[in-house]
Amino acid sequence: MRVIVADDAMLTREGIVRLLGDAGIEVVGQAEDADGLLRLVAAQHPDAVIVDIRMPPTYTGEGLAAAQRIRAGHPGVGVLVLSQYVAPGYATRLIEDRPEGVGYLLKERVFDAAILVDGLRRIGDGECVIDPTIVARLIGRRRDKDPLAGLTTREREVLSLVAEGLSNTAIANRLFVVERTVEAHTTQIFRKLGLDADPESHRRVLAVLTFLRSPA
Amino acid sequence: MPGWHNVVVAAPVPARWPRRLVRCSGVGGALGFAVTTMAVIWFTAPWATTYSGSSLPGAVADLAAGLGLMLAGLLLLLEWPGRAPGLIAALAGAVWLAPDWVGWQDGPPLARTIAMVAAPLFLPLVLHLLLAFPGGKPCSAAARMAGRGAYAATGIVSVAWALSRDPRLDPHCWSNCTDNSFLVSGQPAIERGLETAGIVLALGLGTGIVAVCAGRLARGTKPARRRLAPALLPGLLVGGSASAQAIALLRTPLEGPQFASFSALFQARAWSVCALAAGLAWTVVRARLTRSAVGRVASDLGDAPAPGALGAVLAKVTNDPGVEVAYWLPESGRFVDGSGRTVQEAAPGHGKAVTRIVREGRPVAIVRHDAAAADADRLDRAIGAAARLAVDNERLQAGVLAQLEDLRASRTRIVEAGDAERRRLERNLHDGTQQRLLALSYELRLARAAAAAAGAPEVEVILTSAVEQAQEAASQLRELAHGIYPAILTEAGLGLALESLAESAPLPVVVRGTPDRRFPQPVERAAFLVVAGSIDAGLDAGAGKISIRVAWTDDHLVIEAEGAGTGPFTDLADRVGAIGGRLAAGRLGLRAEIPCA
Repeated sequence: MRVIVADDAMLTREGIVRLLGDAGIEVVGQAEDADGLLRLVAAQHPDAVIVDIRMPPTYTGEGLAAAQRIRAGHPGVGVLVLSQYVAPGYATRLIEDRPEGVGYLLKERVFDAAILVDGLRRIGDGECVIDPTIVARLIGRRRDKDPLAGLTTREREVLSLVAEGLSNTAIANRLFVVERTVEAHTTQIFRKLGLDADPESHRRVLAVLTFLRSPA
Repeated sequence: MPGWHNVVVAAPVPARWPRRLVRCSGVGGALGFAVTTMAVIWFTAPWATTYSGSSLPGAVADLAAGLGLMLAGLLLLLEWPGRAPGLIAALAGAVWLAPDWVGWQDGPPLARTIAMVAAPLFLPLVLHLLLAFPGGKPCSAAARMAGRGAYAATGIVSVAWALSRDPRLDPHCWSNCTDNSFLVSGQPAIERGLETAGIVLALGLGTGIVAVCAGRLARGTKPARRRLAPALLPGLLVGGSASAQAIALLRTPLEGPQFASFSALFQARAWSVCALAAGLAWTVVRARLTRSAVGRVASDLGDAPAPGALGAVLAKVTNDPGVEVAYWLPESGRFVDGSGRTVQEAAPGHGKAVTRIVREGRPVAIVRHDAAAADADRLDRAIGAAARLAVDNERLQAGVLAQLEDLRASRTRIVEAGDAERRRLERNLHDGTQQRLLALSYELRLARAAAAAAGAPEVEVILTSAVEQAQEAASQLRELAHGIYPAILTEAGLGLALESLAESAPLPVVVRGTPDRRFPQPVERAAFLVVAGSIDAGLDAGAGKISIRVAWTDDHLVIEAEGAGTGPFTDLADRVGAIGGRLAAGRLGLRAEIPCA
């Protein structure tokens, strides 16, 4: 897998490069700002990029804008955004056009090799990755009339993993159940919440996030 | 310094009695002279020696012109004592009536002779009046020379004519064919030459009057034109009709009321003089009207007039809409306008003059105005008498407003400096401490992997705990940095920041109308803090839920928080107030209005 890393802090950038190298992932370029990243992507055609959302010079949306430009201009390149903001709205904005091959992880996960590498591989496979902290915040949000009250504990667990972007197979592995059980859970959850989306498609992540974000 | 005038507003108000004396004696004299002239006309009536005596319209026009000009002159004198135009106008009115005395059949010869010599002086007087109006002095040395030359030439020709004219030998005599007390020796040839010279001179003076009026109207600025037109427009008519009369005399030297053309010319001359008198009187009336407007500003002290009211009144007084008033604040050593904004010290130039208003030897205000529309005297009268208190009042008010403005600017600066500092801290935490912490947790993971490979399970357990601690520290640091400054506000704008605030709130929060556009940073920051403060307050007040409504126009952002309790919201009010907004707490919650222009 060929990856480009963009972060304005050298310490972080080099840490990531080392970590990915140990995991057998080839880093084909490093950028310290959005323009440099866009140039490298055009030149190297990587499988994925890791972008810090906070980018110079103004630190007002440069990172997200760069991520969206790459997704529009290079549909084959997976984009993993690293953010310090526990902002579900930000994550939704990133995936809302096309919830495939894209991810939003909190910056503090960056040196957790298992999560970072797993996330990159999932993105490379065209899946969608949403940070568990973000999903936890949405699931735990205080609501006037909580629509999640009708779900069982197991169903909530499955809902969280769906929102994190996991496939049925991955959820089944995580929960030590067979895939058919997961399918049954998701169908039941979508019915209880009144979601129209196909419970087996890629777009189910977006549907679940949008549902969870709608005002109580 | 050229272009500068000082107006001393503490100047004593002139005592009342000299004005009353001027008024009584002047009006009495003018009426007396007019009545006597009427009597003269009456005695002369059957004879065709005057235009006024020959017909009723002639008498009406003649007396209206003479008496009108005298009264207008008196009005000018009362309004601006000691200024020449009033006296000149009164004299011109008297001289206008001189031909009636010339034509007084069987009247005292000396009176008729004096009137005969004086009558031609009417045109030099009018020329002088129109050159000097309204200030009192002709504006240039050339104009002064022209005025003096007109008097001298007319006087010399008139006196020389009187010395050489034997009325019984004069073929063109009509009004006085019998008396000349000044006759030295009858010289018909010289007399005829001088008569022609007098007519040519009158033609020159009439043309000169037209030129002066037209020139001053054309050259003047707009405010000056508005102010002078009531006198200069009739002046054109007076000059024109005098020139027409002179041309008619050059063609047919014998005149008299029996000729229809000369009668018509007389009517034209008389009514143009009436118009001039009316114009002069109107100037005075207008000055009085505007002065009472200034007086009203002074009497509005109790009602606290709107900032800048004095400037508006001065604009009216001087007919100059571009007038600017600035007040001197000695404490902070600068000028401010009526609403307290700092302004540059006004400088003369571009047709503008600057008048300083001095009180007790210290400058209190400066007025920048059209140089031609108003002079120091005029402002002195506008400000000096009635509006002294208004100046003081408005200056004090401007001073207070200026302090308020300073205070507001200083509040804004304090808040912005605080924000900038918080943002710097947040960035340091994120870019420095957090990166180091993450690097540390990475090293710990490597060490843990090494320990596992080396088969040291105790060390591995300890390192696992250390990794978790480091991870937890990083997570807490993120929360802390977010509390110090919500960087997502700068990064993504108010809409997303408010949504994430609602999503992480410890009670149900619904945000409606979140904007997808950006506002200036202080505005976004204040709005964010209002919502964050409302959530905290609602939590303290035990609210079941909080509804936030955001609305905005081009110049205001409005935040309404229902369920936020009743406050007090001192911190939030300070915050919103610092950028010129308002925060109101009601029964249902609070409402903040933040200007975002």
